[in-house]
Formats: sequence, C-alpha cells, structure tokens
Amino acid sequence: MIPLEWYLALAAVLFSIGAYGILVERNGLKVLMCLEILLNAANINLVAFSRENLMGQEFALFSIAIAACEVAVGLALLIMLFRYMDTIDLETFNILRW
Amino acid sequence: MSYGLLIPELIIAASALIVLLAVFMKDGGKKFAGYVSIVALLVSLILVLKDGLVTPTPYFNDTIVIDPLSQIFNMIFLLVSLLVVIGGIRYNEDKPHAEIFYSLLLFATLGMMVVAISNDLIPLFVGFELASLATYPMAAFERTKRGIEASMKYFVIGALSSSLLLFGMSYIYGVAGTTNIPQIADALSLNLMKPASLLGLLFIVSGFGFKMALVPFHMWAVDVYDGAPHLVTALLSSASKKMAFVAAFKILVVGLIALRFDWYIGLALLAVLTMTLGNVVAAVQRSVKRMLAYSSVAHAGYIAIAFVVISKSLAEAEIALAGGILHIFSHALMNAGAFIVAAIIAAAVISKVKPGEEDNLDNYAGLGKIAPVTALMMAILMLSLGGVPPMFGFWSKAVIFLSAIKADLLWLAIIGVLNSALSLYYYARVVMYMYYRDPVIERVNEPLMYVLPVAIATMGVILLGLYPPTYEWAFEAARTLLMMGGIL
Repeated sequence: MIPLEWYLALAAVLFSIGAYGILVERNGLKVLMCLEILLNAANINLVAFSRENLMGQEFALFSIAIAACEVAVGLALLIMLFRYMDTIDLETFNILRW
Repeated sequence: MSYGLLIPELIIAASALIVLLAVFMKDGGKKFAGYVSIVALLVSLILVLKDGLVTPTPYFNDTIVIDPLSQIFNMIFLLVSLLVVIGGIRYNEDKPHAEIFYSLLLFATLGMMVVAISNDLIPLFVGFELASLATYPMAAFERTKRGIEASMKYFVIGALSSSLLLFGMSYIYGVAGTTNIPQIADALSLNLMKPASLLGLLFIVSGFGFKMALVPFHMWAVDVYDGAPHLVTALLSSASKKMAFVAAFKILVVGLIALRFDWYIGLALLAVLTMTLGNVVAAVQRSVKRMLAYSSVAHAGYIAIAFVVISKSLAEAEIALAGGILHIFSHALMNAGAFIVAAIIAAAVISKVKPGEEDNLDNYAGLGKIAPVTALMMAILMLSLGGVPPMFGFWSKAVIFLSAIKADLLWLAIIGVLNSALSLYYYARVVMYMYYRDPVIERVNEPLMYVLPVAIATMGVILLGLYPPTYEWAFEAARTLLMMGGIL
C-alpha cells in the first residue's frame, strides 16, 4: 500500500502548480484549467485521507460535481468576454484599478 | 420526523425554478418573475420570523441543524434579497431576461441559507459554491465592459478562494477523520495534530479572507463592487459577504476552537489592517459607489474583531459573537440601503446630467432638493454607517468594541473607535454634499420601487437598534454557537 505521505505530496505539488498558473497565466482558458487543478488537488487529499471512513470520498464526489458547474460558469463568462472584447486575454483588464 | 423548519429553503428552491418559466410568457414575464420572487422571499421571511428562536433541530443525519444562529442569518439573507428584488422590479424594466436575474438571485439566497443551516463541511461547501456560482454571472448582468471585467475578476478570485477553502477542509478532515463540525471540535480537543491542522487553518482563513474581503485579500472586492450593477453590489456586499462570516463562525469558532491561540495574532492583524486601510482609502474616493465598497471592507474589519476577542478570552466569547452578529445584521441593512440609493441616483437623477459618471460625488450635490425623500434616507443610512447614535449601526458597533474592552483588548477597541471617527468624515461628506451644495438639476421623480427597499432598510436601521428582541436573538444565537462548540 502506498503511504499517505506520497498522496499528500502529490496533492501539494498539484496545488502549487495550479496556484502558480493562476498567478502568472494571462490566458483565460489556462486560468480556468489551473482552477480545476486546484480543486483536484483537494480531491486527492480528501480521497487519500478517507481510509477510516467514506466521508472523504463522498466529499470528493460533491466537489467533482461542483468543479463541473464551475467550469460551466467559467466557460460561459469566457465566451461572453470573447464576444464583447474579441480576446480572452485577462491582461486587457484595465478599467477597474484602485 | 417533520420537515417543517426546512420549508423556507424549499420555497426558495422551488421559486428559483418557477421564475425561469417566465421566459415562455408573451412579454417576457418580467412582472411575473419579479412578483413571484417577492412573494417567495416574503413568505420564507415570515416563516423564519414565525419560528423565531427554535430549539436546535438536526436533520439528515446531523448534517443540517436549524437553530437560532441559522434563523437570524436566514432572516438577514432573506431580507437583503427581498430589498434587492423589490429594487430589481424597477431595474429590470428595460433589461432583457429579467427572469435570469431573479432566478440567479434566488439560487444565491438558497446557497447562503444552506451555509447558515449546515452543520457539516459538505453542505457548507456546497452551499458556499451555490451562492458563489450564482453571483458570478450576476456581476456581468449588464454586459458592459466594466461589468464583464468585474465578473471575470470575481470568478477567478472566487474560484481560487473556494479551492483554498476546500484544500483547507481536506486537511481538517484528514486530522479529525470526520466532516461533522462539532465532531471535528471534539477530535481536535483531544489531539491538536499540529502541523497538519495548522495548514488546514491557514488555507481556510485565507479562503474566507478572500470571501470576507479582509485586507490583504480585498483587492478584487472593490473592483467587483464597483463594476457590478448597483443592486448586485448590494447583494454581494450585504449578503454574500455575510455568508462567509457565518461559515467562518461555524468552522473557526465551533470546529477549530481548539486552535484559537494560533489564529489570534493572524486575525488581529487582519482586523486592524482591514479597518484602517478600508477607511483611509474610502476617505479619498470621489465615486460614492467605490467609497461604499471600501467602507464595506472596513466594516468587515470591525466584524473580524469578534474573532480576535473569542481567541483571546472565551469568557467574553458570547458578547463578542453577539456583537459580530448584530453588526453583520446592521451592516447588511445599511449597506444594501446605501447601494440601492446609489442605484436611484444613477438611474433616475444623474443619467440626465452626466452619462458615465453616475457615481461621482458631485452628482449628489443638492440632492436634498432634487430628491428629498432619497436624500433624507441616505443621510440616515450614512450616519448609521458612521456609527452615530441612536441608529442600529452605533449599537452594534458599540457591542463589538465593548467586548474587546472586556477581553483586555483595549488597544484594539481604541483602533476601532479611531477608525470609526475617521469613517464619519467621508460619510458626513456625502450628507454635506446633499444638503449644503446647490442642486444641478430640477427636482425629479423618485421611482417608488427603488425608494421602497431603501425605506424598509432605513426603518430597520432606526427601529431595530432600539428594539430589545434583536439583542435577545443575537445573544441566543451566540450561545447556541458556543454550545455547539462545547464552550458554554
């Protein structure tokens, strides 16, 4: 059996990749993918911790469904962004400062 | 087992779906959708008030508990949504797809109510996400460049904050072996399980910090509040933000109370920074909407004092929590009212003067003559936000500062009072502009559907602070929460 620490390390690495991506990426789609990676890092943690009872796996199922909803909303917003601004580059945001 | 206490939630869920049927109606069903939402919210509100201080009743294998705490927060959420929906009837007159506005608003309200009644991390997270996902598109409801930008920022930051929250929850589940919040408290009181529990705490506090817009996690909030339509901003800052506070009450004060010495310094720092920065930056704003956005950041700092007091001294936890709940209540009313006033100015008064600059303070010049009713109510709301007695905003703030003094946190209370004094400067400036500047245009008609919600909020602000049952309810809610965490 693979020890718990390995799963936790994997989740931590995934979380760091996702957080890094959100900070540096300017492409809306890539940011969306990084957000998904973040949620999945948490899912790995939940399932890995779920050794004594099933609550963690249950929680992970809920969070997978929520992640799907989040993508739906995010993609809809990106489509709207593209229609009105002809780009999905988040760097174009410049109206609201301070 | 009877599900009578869950009827308010069920009504909101059903009406959120029914409202969507308006799309099949000839005229787009704007009036239909609006009035169905009003009736649903009103009936739920009355049911919540009728049940009042219930004895804690668990449902669904103890994942959901209806208790005085959930009742008072459900009341706040329903009240704010009701104000926004009444204003929405006028707002949606010239907008396509009003039914989507109402449906999203009702789903957001449902999500907040689910957070308020949840007693387990799973429904809490689901409700949290429902409320967030429903409000992301609402920020872009007008499909202007500003709105889309605000909505996109809100989405990225909101999704990031919920991932942080979920990641933190996964560690808490790992150390406690359960997702039930009181059981987490029990498990952690036996064994603190550092450092994994601290890691969870860190992620949860930063996740909530984003949602509550505490400095340094506040940058998105002001932009979103500024870019979103006024009514949506009223919902976001008065209800959605308060949802983060009730979730934090449940997770930090009940679940992670054993770690309270570890969140003491962090939250004290966040509270002081939030109050000070919010007030200082609000004082230099020219746009009233942006000023209100920063002031709502500052008020989150006052509410965060409650957490600091609880972590310092459990003896004062009850009064601190009650103060936090009272200030959440009063700020929800004042803020929703003030943002709807800004909507009135933008829609009815100023669009005739300067397009694109609706929220500039100059447009409030002489409002006492242009729109006397609105100006009077705005003056009352501003004074209440600034903490002038005898308004509700004064009493609720006083309870929080009192709890800080009682818990030997005199320095924190002094910083709070100084901030409160500073905030009076920019609130009074709005009043000064309204009454001591010459009007730029003739008197205008104030739209009834906008004035009505502001009038309700203003009445609440004047009367509730002098109405003893408000305090009884808040203290009872605080006691229930502390009992759940095994402190009382």
